[in-house]
Amino acid sequence: MSSMYAVEAIDVHKRFTGKDGEVDAVRGVSLGIERGEVFGFLGPNGAGKSTTVRMLTTLMTITAGRALVGGLDVAGDPHGVRRRIGVALQEAGLDPRQTGRELLVLQGRLFGLSKTDAAARAADLLDLVEMVDAADRRIGGYSGGMKRRLDLASALVHQPDVLFLDAPTTGLDPASRLTVWDEVRRINERGTTVFLTTQYLEEADQLCGRLAIIDGGRIVREGSPSALKSELRARLALDADPTLDEVFMDATGRNRARVAGDVQEV
Amino acid sequence: MKDSLILGGRAAREALRTPDSLFPSVFIPLFFLVVNVGQTARIFPTDSTDFLRGQSYAAFQLPSSLLLSASFGAAALYLVEEIEGGYFDKLRATPIPRMAIIGGRLWAELIKTAVLAAVMVAVSLPFGIRIESGVLGFLLLIVMVAMWGVVFAGFMQLIAIKTRSAAATQGASLVFFPLLFLTPNFVPRNLLTRPMEIAATLNPVTYIMEAVRTLVLDGFEWTALGRGFLVIAVTGAIMLALSVRLVNNYD
Ligand SMILES: Nc1ncnc2c1ncn2[C@@H]1O[C@H](COP(=O)(O)OP(=O)(O)OP(=O)(O)O)[C@@H](O)[C@H]1O
Ligand SMILES: [Mg+2]
Repeated sequence: MSSMYAVEAIDVHKRFTGKDGEVDAVRGVSLGIERGEVFGFLGPNGAGKSTTVRMLTTLMTITAGRALVGGLDVAGDPHGVRRRIGVALQEAGLDPRQTGRELLVLQGRLFGLSKTDAAARAADLLDLVEMVDAADRRIGGYSGGMKRRLDLASALVHQPDVLFLDAPTTGLDPASRLTVWDEVRRINERGTTVFLTTQYLEEADQLCGRLAIIDGGRIVREGSPSALKSELRARLALDADPTLDEVFMDATGRNRARVAGDVQEV
Repeated sequence: MKDSLILGGRAAREALRTPDSLFPSVFIPLFFLVVNVGQTARIFPTDSTDFLRGQSYAAFQLPSSLLLSASFGAAALYLVEEIEGGYFDKLRATPIPRMAIIGGRLWAELIKTAVLAAVMVAVSLPFGIRIESGVLGFLLLIVMVAMWGVVFAGFMQLIAIKTRSAAATQGASLVFFPLLFLTPNFVPRNLLTRPMEIAATLNPVTYIMEAVRTLVLDGFEWTALGRGFLVIAVTGAIMLALSVRLVNNYD
């Protein structure tokens, strides 16, 4: 049963059934992410990135298909999966009434650390994300970027095998973004597989060994950034390698003219 | 269990950090106690009415105030805030039983309601209210009120998880509130008008109120106490079963 991949999705679907009808948010996503990779998951707004992440991290049921994380079936052994993964969701959900340090200690305790170990781990992580000064202030008073960095730290408390980051640098200033990139690289060098979604193509270019582009709930491109660029270059017979932006536009059928048209309609 | 206690500590810390949320739970019930007693005490003078057992009307009213206080818990509102804010998902991604997330708040509610009830009884003692059943009865009274607080908060949390909306949760607490008043609130059950008597007899809160009241006025009346604890046990079991189901199927 055990999968050779750190993350494997096999024809995964998600259908939301609500008052105003059904939404097929994910329509048959298959992925294989090797151990030790930094894998990028790109796509326009509403493409199904967060929904896929929520399914892979046991937070949402899978409508059809199957997913394995760390070799464990997400639906069959959610607790086993939760022990192996770290999760920082798109909305950095943190408790405003605790301090940053308290939140990290609590997180450590819930992953089975003793009080002393959790406190030591919290101190290390606060140092790592450069939050020592604000550690004993309540999270309610943190800026958006501070919350994101704390959220990242809290995802690392138990030294997960696989780290899921949903739009980790959205809303960060350029310096903080670089800090997070460095952090992701360092975490990855220690052997953690990273699955990250992003809106920033440069981020994917810088960080990810491989990426997939999802549009309308389906994977439309998959490969290394350079392979995707070469493929487009060959297909369109371009003189030079296109940028990842151009790959993205091509893959999602969004060219500049059409984007401009969309804007006018609004 | 251990996880729910860890989360209980956090919920208690949260309550201590928002003392203004505790204030209404003490102030409003005491306000009603003072106003109700002030307006009706002349109809029910101590010696002329035997259901007072020789105490003042305030002693008869105290149990309603305690139950009112226990039904003010903000647990569900914090929970819904957590669901809307996303911290609930963060907790769901940890390898703890999901019920521990609910259970943690219930532990905090137990402690909080017990402390508030003890404060309210302490405040009322100087006004001539006696706990007829003594120290042991006082402890039993606190336990009973606190357990009711937990059951009530648990049902509110169910609504919070089901609706995931602060407005709906707040609205639901107003729907549950009448239960506190369809009780032998002002006079014993046998003096109620027939429709009210029927309503009170069907209302589970009645039996808790009567049990608490016997501890204040009569001493240990085991039949009433037994009924009170039975109601708490049954409603508590229903609440826990529904919570487990709802939180485990949360998607
Ligand atoms: N809980 C839900 N109920 C109903 N529909 C949902 C729900 N969550 C997401 N959707 C729908 O599923 C689709 C995919 O949403 P998703 O959040 O996965 O997109 P995304 O790729 O993460 O977008 P973004 O880049 O804006 O974060 C959207 O059409 C969205 O409206
Ligand atoms: Mg998203």
